[in-house]
Formats: sequence, structure tokens, C-alpha cells
Amino acid sequence: MLDESGFVDIQIGPPVDTFGGATGQEKARAFDVYGYAFSARKPE
Amino acid sequence: MTTDDLLVDPETLREQVRDKYREVAIDPHARFHFHTGRPLAAKLGYENAVVAALPDRAVESFAGVGNPFSLRRLQPGERVVDIGSGAGFDSFVAAAQVGREGRVIGVDMTPEMLAKSRATAVQLDLHHVAFRDGLAEALPVVDGWADAVISNGVINLCADKQAVFAEIRRVLRPGGVLQYADIANGRIVPPEALRDIDLWTG
Repeated sequence: MLDESGFVDIQIGPPVDTFGGATGQEKARAFDVYGYAFSARKPE
Repeated sequence: MTTDDLLVDPETLREQVRDKYREVAIDPHARFHFHTGRPLAAKLGYENAVVAALPDRAVESFAGVGNPFSLRRLQPGERVVDIGSGAGFDSFVAAAQVGREGRVIGVDMTPEMLAKSRATAVQLDLHHVAFRDGLAEALPVVDGWADAVISNGVINLCADKQAVFAEIRRVLRPGGVLQYADIANGRIVPPEALRDIDLWTG
């Protein structure tokens, strides 16, 4: 979606087990949900 | 895109999100389906010294899903917009990185979160940080103002993500950077689940 929105130089960081150990862990595991850092640049 | 094209009604979703994060603001030590506060900041790799320097009010309601500063550190003097700033945790981290020559505008739609973040900014005597009432889809920031836009676990809670990204592009200067954290799923979510608004916030 970032590239569709016109951003460039897109980077994605490694997955983080955001919900691990929280009560939302079960639902998160069901859909392989993890947290990620993203960066992208608006073209000049 | 019209409201009919979206998976869930944007205003209904906003009301649910406000309700959830009002709880996080008022009773941050209650049990939520996500982690909060200092333990979460440590889990997500925030710098210990930066977090330790912040008062509890700035950290206890933090409910991010990643670290928007992990791929790029903000530069001194940069102007930053924090979308869904909550009680201000990421805005205060940003404020430390950009320094007093920079500016940080946090935007949030939950009054209880705005009250906390504004009180903390006063407590810390931070004049280069301001918090404004607003929506991710309609940021109260002029065109091209920001060198960087940050956000943490917020865009996934917006029904119209294309509108959010278009708004981010509007407030960024040419060459400006979007650096944010959010959740993503590795397995396909069934259509009926995508339209179940309760799953968006729980």
C-alpha cells in the first residue's frame, strides 16, 4: 500500500512478537500477526 | 473510495477505538489484549535511558506495536508529526531526538489521551512539542510542514488506509520520511473476519 500511495525507498524491519505473553497472543498467532517498523520517503 | 467500499464503518470504528484507548489513558494498568507501559517499551527496543528519563504519565499508557525509530533516528531540528500520539510517549522520544530546534506535533482523537500528553509536556517544560485534536485522515497540519511523520500501531485501526497515506503525503515535504510501526498478518484473514469490527480493536 505504501508504493501504491506513491512512497519510495520502502524499508521493513524484522518482525516483533508484539502480542507475545499478552492476552491477545492467541488471536495474533492465528493470523501470524507481528509488529514491524516501516520507513518510506515522499519523492522529491 | 466511499464509505460503502470500506470493510467497516469509519466512525463506528473510531468510537470503538476511542473507548478502548480512553481505558488505556485512565486505567493503564488494567488488563488489555496488548502490553503497555515500560515493559512494552523495553520489549520493543527503546533506549533505556530515554524511557527512564520520562515520567510515568508519559509511559504508562504507551501501547505501541513496534519501534518507529528503529530504522531511522530523527535528526536534530526536524519537524515531526506523530499520528495517534496517545499519551505522548513517542512524541517525547521524538522531542529528545530533534532537540529544542526541532518541532513535534502529536495528533490524537481521544480527549483523555490529549489531556495526559499536554500535562506531561507542561511538566517537562517542552515548548517544542504540541498536541492537537484530530484524525489521521484529516491531520491539523499545513501542507508540506513535516520532515518526518511517525506513528505506532495506529494506521491498522483506520478504516480507510489509503486516505491516511494520502494525508501523510500531504503534510510531508518533498523528500520527507514516513517512519512508523504497525502490525501485519502473515496469513490471509477471512472476509467475514475482516468485516467483524470487534476484531479490529480486540
